[in-house]
Amino acid sequence: MVVEKATKTINRLESMHPLRAKVNETYLKSVEAIQAGKPAVWGMLNFYYGDPILKAMDIEVVYPENYGAIAAATGAAQQYLDRADAEGFPTHLCGYSLTTLGYASRMMKELKGQIPPEAPIGGMPKPLFLMSSAAICDARYKWFQALGRYMDVPVWPLEAPIPGIKEFFIEGYYDRMVKLGVKHLRDFVAFVEGMVGKKMDWDKLDKTADLMIEVNRVWHEVNELRKARPCPMHSRDFWSAMPAALFLAGDLEDSLRLYQDMYKEVKDRVNSHVGAIPDEKYRLVFAELPPWHSLAFFDKLAERGWNFVIESVGYHPPIPMDLSKVSDPLERITKFSLQFLVGYYEDARKQNVLGGTTAYPYLKYAREWKCDGALLHPLISCRSASTHLPYVSDMLMEKLKVPSLSIEGDIVDLRLFNPEDALAKAEPFEETMEHYRKMRKQAGFNW
Amino acid sequence: MYFAGVDIGSTMTKVVLMDKSSNLLSAIKGPTGPEYRQLANEVMRQALEQASLQIDNISYIVATGYGRLNVPFADRQITELSCHARGVSSLFPNVRTAIDIGGQDAKCMKINNGRLISFVMNDKCAAGTGRFLEVTAATLGIRLEDMGDISLRATKKIPISSLCTIFAQQEVVALLSRGEKLENILAGLHDALASRIAALARRLGIEPDLVLTGGVAKNTGIVRAMKESLGCEILVPEEPLLTGALGAAILAKETYMKAVAVGEALPTKSRRLEKPTFFS
Repeated sequence: MVVEKATKTINRLESMHPLRAKVNETYLKSVEAIQAGKPAVWGMLNFYYGDPILKAMDIEVVYPENYGAIAAATGAAQQYLDRADAEGFPTHLCGYSLTTLGYASRMMKELKGQIPPEAPIGGMPKPLFLMSSAAICDARYKWFQALGRYMDVPVWPLEAPIPGIKEFFIEGYYDRMVKLGVKHLRDFVAFVEGMVGKKMDWDKLDKTADLMIEVNRVWHEVNELRKARPCPMHSRDFWSAMPAALFLAGDLEDSLRLYQDMYKEVKDRVNSHVGAIPDEKYRLVFAELPPWHSLAFFDKLAERGWNFVIESVGYHPPIPMDLSKVSDPLERITKFSLQFLVGYYEDARKQNVLGGTTAYPYLKYAREWKCDGALLHPLISCRSASTHLPYVSDMLMEKLKVPSLSIEGDIVDLRLFNPEDALAKAEPFEETMEHYRKMRKQAGFNW
Repeated sequence: MYFAGVDIGSTMTKVVLMDKSSNLLSAIKGPTGPEYRQLANEVMRQALEQASLQIDNISYIVATGYGRLNVPFADRQITELSCHARGVSSLFPNVRTAIDIGGQDAKCMKINNGRLISFVMNDKCAAGTGRFLEVTAATLGIRLEDMGDISLRATKKIPISSLCTIFAQQEVVALLSRGEKLENILAGLHDALASRIAALARRLGIEPDLVLTGGVAKNTGIVRAMKESLGCEILVPEEPLLTGALGAAILAKETYMKAVAVGEALPTKSRRLEKPTFFS
């Protein structure tokens, strides 16, 4: 069931719109590239490893994962899910993967490589190759292998090992990870050079890496401003604006300017005490991926005074670090990517919390963004975004006395999410949040 | 001053009337049916008759449950979780954990001083709800209310492996045709339901006193299976279906008395009990 169009209660940022438009721009550019005989690639969200390399080589990239979300948000996903079902893929596989496998089947089997005319925002053209990544999600290799069978194109798997917290602090571990990452990226550069028939422009890669780091630093600062009360920016604006930093969608210099504009707008709101919703009664952290098909659900919650002030670490930029003295762009890229994966590990170890890339950041966020509750959205078709949530819930309660509300659903399959039922739980959860507000005060917390 | 709580569940509608000293004047229940607005009307009429009251005598009415938004004469709607917590606490002041298994969902609640402090629900799957038992009773051609007592005669429990209500029915039929005894199958079925609910409750953290409510709490086989599964004593109210409506009546009284204490006039709905029309 898709939630009916609600009154738009969330006060969206003006500066979000051009950043959101970067997504459409990316897809249109990829179609134009193919039409002009230039390369385009399907890439998996890789947390900055492969993207700057493709950007420096003037290769347009589209992201099936992101496209799955777009298909869900525009109501186009169901036909592709049905097609994947008809192809024999089990329905409990990742919703994003099913959507794009259905899309690939339609494009390659029915339309002989042409973009399906019904495809949202111009569609994804047949790629030169597929770039998969193991970062965070364990399904990606197999998903891209399956896509590769439809496309009959090479698949390059980007390795992104994620250590446990204790293992990470074994002497020399970090240096070995950097060495491995750099070597792997060098191999990837050679592969891409072979595919497109031209050499890497290393000066351009150097500049691209710097821009990527700066874009993400400004984006990080925007999110720091959300600690203000009332919070000036809702999670919906975060999700709309994130692709330009997370996927490097669009021109990076342009994106940098747009994130700087967003910083100014958010800062102005902070200075004039303007919130993202009219009456902020409860501040919440959202984990993990939202129900893209039912985003109007957040307006309904906003009407109740629920402001989503922070969200999953998996889509947030790495904690800024000084990489200006690292001369090799591949090493700079590797260290930046590793910062995303292990940037919270030192803190997590001190707090004796597991899940440095998953569970721990929620504790930090709830404490620093002063959250009253967490809305957990376990996804029926995604292990990576779901398996740590019970631990997150336990840690939030144990360490901070912040309660969680768990509402099952899916990122793509709207049949698995019942917004009316979810809304029915909102009122009793407010009672819970009120109770723990008192408990936190008694325990000496300052919110 | 009199107060009413109306609980429109997916299977049963319940009404509780009380006076300002919290004395229960009447408690009525009836099947919800497909048009719950019309039945709320009828159950309320019966409750008023039992208490020898008129609808105009009721100072404040709170509706709760799945159909709470469609009670035309209710002054306020409060979620069933809050109402159950309050109702259970009024009967068992030391309750810390309450499990309500209704026709459509199962709720596990943590309660502190009558207040709901945390909850989890099984709301995606019929296998942890009263519907699971209803469907099974219909398949087996036995009365729902007899299932518990029949299962207590079991000499062993036949494990039901399917987690899906529909497939579980097929499994039950297959077991019967294989010659397994009905009571042994039912004991296994109750175990399957109890273990699902127990897993849900453990997620919340179980603290005594633990109270079981909802229509399923009337099933003696389930109560026994829940005790075994959770390994603790379980308290069951004399009338486990009524705790939501009772809590709603208590909250109606509290809301009204609080407003009176500060001289506030609470808005109330029209006290008509006519059959509602499409537009009412």
